[in-house]
Amino acid sequence: MKELIRLKNVTVQSEDYEILRDISLSFAQSRSTVILGPAGCGKSTLLKVAAGIIMPDRGSVFIDGENLLTMPERDLKAFRRRNGFAFQDAALWANQSLYENLFIPLRFHNPRLKKSEIHDRVMQSLESTGMDSQAHLRPAQISSGEQKIVSFCRALILEPEVLYMDEPTLSIDARVLGIIYDLIRRYKQKGCTLLVVTHDQDLTSWLADDLIVLKAGEVVEMGPFDEVKNSENQEVQSILSSVLSRAASYDTDILGLLAKEQMQD
Amino acid sequence: MLAALGQWLNDKISALLYASGYLLKVLIATVTFPRRRQVGNRVLVLQILFTGVEAMGIITLIALAIGAVIIIQGVSLLPQFGQGQLIYTILIAVIVRELGPILTAFIVTARSGTAIATELGGMVVTHQIEAYVSVGINPISYLAVPRFLGVTLSMMVLTVYFIVVGLFGAFFLTQLIKPIPLSEYFGNLFSALRFVDILSSLVKSFVFGVLISLVSTYQGFNVRQASTEVPQRVIKAVGQGVVLCIVANAIVSLIYYI
Repeated sequence: MKELIRLKNVTVQSEDYEILRDISLSFAQSRSTVILGPAGCGKSTLLKVAAGIIMPDRGSVFIDGENLLTMPERDLKAFRRRNGFAFQDAALWANQSLYENLFIPLRFHNPRLKKSEIHDRVMQSLESTGMDSQAHLRPAQISSGEQKIVSFCRALILEPEVLYMDEPTLSIDARVLGIIYDLIRRYKQKGCTLLVVTHDQDLTSWLADDLIVLKAGEVVEMGPFDEVKNSENQEVQSILSSVLSRAASYDTDILGLLAKEQMQD
Repeated sequence: MLAALGQWLNDKISALLYASGYLLKVLIATVTFPRRRQVGNRVLVLQILFTGVEAMGIITLIALAIGAVIIIQGVSLLPQFGQGQLIYTILIAVIVRELGPILTAFIVTARSGTAIATELGGMVVTHQIEAYVSVGINPISYLAVPRFLGVTLSMMVLTVYFIVVGLFGAFFLTQLIKPIPLSEYFGNLFSALRFVDILSSLVKSFVFGVLISLVSTYQGFNVRQASTEVPQRVIKAVGQGVVLCIVANAIVSLIYYI
């Protein structure tokens, strides 16, 4: 497995405490990694460091072996072009319409592309999620679930090779959940590298190739999904049972059962 | 107490270095702005529209009022000392060299400075800045530079507009008190006006535009976590903008008289 992203001795400091403490790990290409942990343990920060959105106070981030902190601007732009980031709270640009939220990144990375082609791609993306009739609206004029869908559309508009998702299924209804599951499944089948922060046990069970368990800014356990899930480390089991709460009520391997059901669909 | 003083000094120096680094980044990004095929051109146009075009109404009102006040005071007082002709020199000194640039700066700070700091601060809190970074768009190039250019350009144009309206406003008021022909009024005015007066005014307006835009964008980006910080940063942006403009005004005026 080719290593795509590597974090080496990464520390992220807040004013009072260390959000991430001396983290060293790597993410393999074309693998789906789920990051789990209790609230406030630094999961979102870890995801943003891996995406190069937040720079660590200490340590290094390597992308294809190249140090992100010293990467030339042209390479950095190429790296960003390969990425898509879906934020927990959508983070759509409030003073732009939904159409423009997708238009801007596409236009930025494809300055020579005709406006009509960009228009077609934007509308195609919105149509595939049923948001085309609302393309002219501002984010504040749609529901939070719909904002999440458009956030995904923006993350996917450049057809990324690496997709970062921060709580993609948080606070959404079944209809939106179905749309987002379809999008994620589609990109997993394409062989994209997926990094996900989630508490969604269904998503974890069918998506995760690898699992990272965080607590208080430190990695407690990481590795292939089955290995971590069956870890004898009591702390890991405690975190998994508290984070994936439904799993704790079953004697049998609920994650395993859910994984099998999804594959059969 | 010594430790607290040391910490305070350390914090101030760190803040100054940080601000200097920000200034350098903005200037570098400004130089490269024209050759980037960015979507920032639209932001620049919108900024000029908001800061420049939409402020013309209030500038017109204030300039007319200032011109009127100066002419009323001058025409009633100066002839008592046999210095009626000084009114033109006073109009140039007050409207062209001093009040034109500084009052325009205050209006731009109040309108655009607050709006910029509020908008950028809100964007930080709602992770919209991170979203720009995630798609590869440099927030300084896309958000700060168009505002920097838009506010500076608009400041210079608005200052010229203020001066023209102020001087015309003064003329129209003289018709009510002591009518004089248009040609005589502007003939005397232009004979009192020198190139350095115009240059001083333009330099001041340029400097004020730079200061207002830099301070507003800097304070907006420096919101950390909570939306409650946004109004605090806006107040800082206005306060610092006003103080820096007044200090800069004094420095440029001093250079003018040297």
